[in-house]
Amino acid sequence: MNIDWQTFRLTLQLAVTVSAVLVVLGLPIAYWIAFSRWHWKFLVEAVVALPIVLPPTVLGFYVLVALGPRSPLGRWWISLTGHTLAFTFTGLVIGSILYSLPFAVQPFATSFAGVDRKLMAASATLGASPLRTFFRVVVPLSIPGLITGIALSFAHTMGEFGVVLMVGGNIPGVTRTVSIDIYDRVQASDYGGANATALLLLVLCFAVLATVYSLNRRAWSLGLAKNL
Amino acid sequence: MMTAKTMKYFSWVFVAASFLLASAPAWPQQKNATELVVAAAADLSTVLKEVADNYEKKTGTTVKLSFGASGALTQQIQNGAPFDLFFSADMDYPRQLISAGQADGPSPYEYAVGKLVMWVPADSPLDVEHKGIEVLLDPLVKKIAIANPQHAPYGRAAVAALTHYALYDQVSSRLVLGENVSQAAQFAESGNAQVGFVALAHAIAPSMQGKGKYWEVPSDAYPPLAQGVVVISHSAHKKEAVEFLQYIKTKEVSELLRKYGFTLP
Amino acid sequence: MSQTRAVDAPSADSPAEPLAGGERPALDARCSKQHTAEGRAFTLEVAFRTAPGFTILFGPSGAGKTTLLDCVAGLSQPDSGHIAIGNRVLFDSTQNINLAVAKRRVGYVFQTLALFPHLTVQQNVEYGLTRLPHADRTTRASAILQAFRIAHLAHQSARRISGGESQRTALARTLVTDPDVLLLDEPLAGLDALTKTKIIDDLREWNRAHGIPILYVTHSREEVFALGERVIVLDAGRIVVQGTPHEVIEAPHQETVAQLVGIENVFDAVVDAISPERGTMTCRVDGDGGPVLLETPLVRGGVGSSLRVGIRAGDILLATIPPVGLSARNVIPGRIASLDRRDVIVTARVKCRVEMEVHLTLAARDSLQLEPGKEVWLVIKTHSCHLMQK
Repeated sequence: MNIDWQTFRLTLQLAVTVSAVLVVLGLPIAYWIAFSRWHWKFLVEAVVALPIVLPPTVLGFYVLVALGPRSPLGRWWISLTGHTLAFTFTGLVIGSILYSLPFAVQPFATSFAGVDRKLMAASATLGASPLRTFFRVVVPLSIPGLITGIALSFAHTMGEFGVVLMVGGNIPGVTRTVSIDIYDRVQASDYGGANATALLLLVLCFAVLATVYSLNRRAWSLGLAKNL
Repeated sequence: MMTAKTMKYFSWVFVAASFLLASAPAWPQQKNATELVVAAAADLSTVLKEVADNYEKKTGTTVKLSFGASGALTQQIQNGAPFDLFFSADMDYPRQLISAGQADGPSPYEYAVGKLVMWVPADSPLDVEHKGIEVLLDPLVKKIAIANPQHAPYGRAAVAALTHYALYDQVSSRLVLGENVSQAAQFAESGNAQVGFVALAHAIAPSMQGKGKYWEVPSDAYPPLAQGVVVISHSAHKKEAVEFLQYIKTKEVSELLRKYGFTLP
Repeated sequence: MSQTRAVDAPSADSPAEPLAGGERPALDARCSKQHTAEGRAFTLEVAFRTAPGFTILFGPSGAGKTTLLDCVAGLSQPDSGHIAIGNRVLFDSTQNINLAVAKRRVGYVFQTLALFPHLTVQQNVEYGLTRLPHADRTTRASAILQAFRIAHLAHQSARRISGGESQRTALARTLVTDPDVLLLDEPLAGLDALTKTKIIDDLREWNRAHGIPILYVTHSREEVFALGERVIVLDAGRIVVQGTPHEVIEAPHQETVAQLVGIENVFDAVVDAISPERGTMTCRVDGDGGPVLLETPLVRGGVGSSLRVGIRAGDILLATIPPVGLSARNVIPGRIASLDRRDVIVTARVKCRVEMEVHLTLAARDSLQLEPGKEVWLVIKTHSCHLMQK
C-alpha cells in the first residue's frame, strides 16, 4: 500500500495556484456582475456559469486541439513559451481556472451584491474613489462570500479529473494528480492503493473545508456578514 | 378562459411529459431482433465497426460497440457491466476475467495480433519512415505519446520497444501518457506530442489517410500484442454471443483484420 | 419649546443676499428629472438658490426631496439642469459636466445614516480624511468627536452604539471633511426630544463656525422652527412655496401647504361681508342646522367668492362658561363629541354646526373637567383663520 506523495504535492500546488489566481481574476469579474447595470449582463453571467454544466471533455478538447500547435493561438503560445499548453502544469492551471471560475465568481458576486448600496454611496460622498470603496467597504463586508468562493475553487480543483485526463498526459510530478492516480490504480486493479489514496484525499479535502468553514462561522459571529 | 391555476397545472403536465419522453430511450425495450453489446479495445474502433455492419446485414443481429482502454473495460465488466463479449488488446485481461469466473473459459480466443507503430503528422520534419526509432533523438521531439503502460497493452509494448532500443531512460522524461492508445494517437494527431506510439490499425485507418507517416516497430522489439476475445459469463444472449464469436473466426473477418493492420496468430 | 427656539434663531435678513466676506459660496441648483416614487411617476422640476445657512426642504414623502439631495450629491443624474457651488460647477447638462461623487465635496448624511458597521466610531469619522497625514487626521477626528460628545465611543464598533450616538457619529463623519455643501436627510428622525435639541445645538454651533449652505430635509415642524432660516416646500416634484418658516408654515396661502403643515380644520366658506376699513371680513361656513360665521383677516375677493378657511387645532381655546371681555372675535358655542389623548396632547372634537378639532393639555382637560357631551365655547382669534384658494 504505497501512497504516491508526489501526486498529493502536485495536486495541492495546483489547487492553491488556481485558487490564488481566481481571487485576482474573480474579484473584478464578480464586481462587474454585482454592480453593472448593462442590459446584456445576463449573457456574461451565463458564460461565467458555463463551466458548471460543461463536460470537461469540451474544455479538454479546446485546450488540446483549438489551442494546440495547429491553431494560430497555439502557435503563438508556443512561440512565447517554447512548448504546447498540453502536458504542462500551466496547461492544467489554465484549464482548471476556466473550469472553477464560476465556483469563485458566483459566491463573490452574491456577496458583493448583498452589500448595502447606501454604504457605498456614503463612501463616495466622503471622497473615496470606487476602488477605495471596493477595498475598504465592499470587500470587508463580503468576507463570508470570499471565503466560500476560495474554498469552493480549492476543493473543486483538488477533485478535478476530466480536464486533467484530457490534456495532462499523466506526467509524474507535472500533471499526474491524485485523481488520475486513483483512476490508474483502479484500472491496474491496485484496489488497495486506490483505496488508500482516495481516503487520504477525502480526509485532506474535508480538513481544509472544515477549517475554512469554521473561519466563516467566526466571521458570521463577529457580525462581519451582517449588512447594517 | 384559462385561469392562472389551469395554466400552472398544464405547465407541470407539459414538463412531466417532456421528461418522460426524453427518458424513453432509457426504458427497457422489448427487443424484436437480438442485440449484442460488445466491449472492445481502442485499436479496434475502425475494423470492428465494419465487422459489426457486415454481421448485421448477414444475420439481422445488431452489434453495439463500446470502445475503451482494455483495463478500464475489464474493471467495468468485473463490476457487472452488461457486455456480451470483450475484445481486449492483450490476453491477460481476458484471462483475468476467466479466473474471476466472469468470462467463459477455458481460455481467450486469440483473434488478432496488434502491431505497434511510431506515428508523426504528415507535415512533420521528422523522417520516421526511414530513420525509425532514431527520430526520438531529434531535439524537435519534445513530447512522445504512449498509452499508459500501467494498464494499456500498447503502452506496455511501447515501453518494451524503447527498452529494447536502450532509449527508455533517455526519453522517459518526455513521455506523455494517454489513457488508452486512442488518446495517445490523439495527442500525436493534434500535434501536441511530436511522436506517438500507436496501433497500426490507427495509422492506416481511412480517416487517417494522408494525415501522417509511420514506421512499423519491428516485432522482435516488444512482446507480441496477442489480442484475445471472451464471452462474458453473465451475458443475457449467450447463444448469439457465441455465434458472433464463430463469425469472428471466419475468413471474411480475417481478411478485414489484415486490411486494418492486424496480423493473424 | 420649539417656539422659543424660533425666536432665538439667528434671523437671516434677506435669504438671497450673499453674506459678508469670509463666508462660503451659495448653492445654485436647477434640475429636472423623471422620477417614480410609490408607483407614481412625476418630474422633479426645481430651481433655487440657497445662501449659507439652514434651508429646510419640507414636503410629503415621494415629493422628490431625497432625489433632489441625490442630484446635488451626484448619486443621481438629472435629465437636465445646472448645479453649482459658487463658481464650481458640479453638473451642467448643456456643457456635459458631471463631476464624480467623490470629487464634489458634498457632505451627505443619509436617512439610514449608513455608518460602516465593520469600523469603529473613530475609524468611521476618519474615513473621509485619508488625504491628511496621519497625525492631522487623528487630531481633527478627535476634535469633532469631542465637540459632538462621542469621544468616549471612539473605539466602539459602529454597530454597537445607540440611535442618538449613531446620528452624531454620522454627522461628525460628514462634517469633519469640511464639505462645501451639507445635505441632511431627516437626520433626527426617531430621536427623543432631548437628544434632538442637543444635536440641533451642535449643528447650529458648527454652522456658525463654518457657514456653508445646508439642505435639511424634514417632516417635523419643530425642526423647521428650530433650525430654519428658509423653508422650501416641495410637493410632487415642484417647489410649492419658499420663504421664512413663519411665512410658509404659520400663514400658508395654499391648501397643499396647509395639508403639509397639518392644519387640522379646513372648511369651505363663502365671503359674506367685508370691512375694508377694519381689515377684516366675514366668512360663512355652512354646517348642520345653520351657518357658522367667522371673522377673518381681509383678503382679495368680493362678497360671494368661495374660498377655504383653515384653523389650527392648537389655535382654538375652549371655555366651559360663556366667555366675556375677550379680544377674540369668534366665539362659537358647541358640544364636545369626543376626547382622545395622545401622549401629552388631548384632542377634543367639538360639534358646533361643523366639527372642529381642538388641542388641549392634560391639565386643561382635568381642570375644566371636560368630558363628551359637555357644553363648551370655542374661542378663535381673527388671525388664526387662514384663508386659502379653493
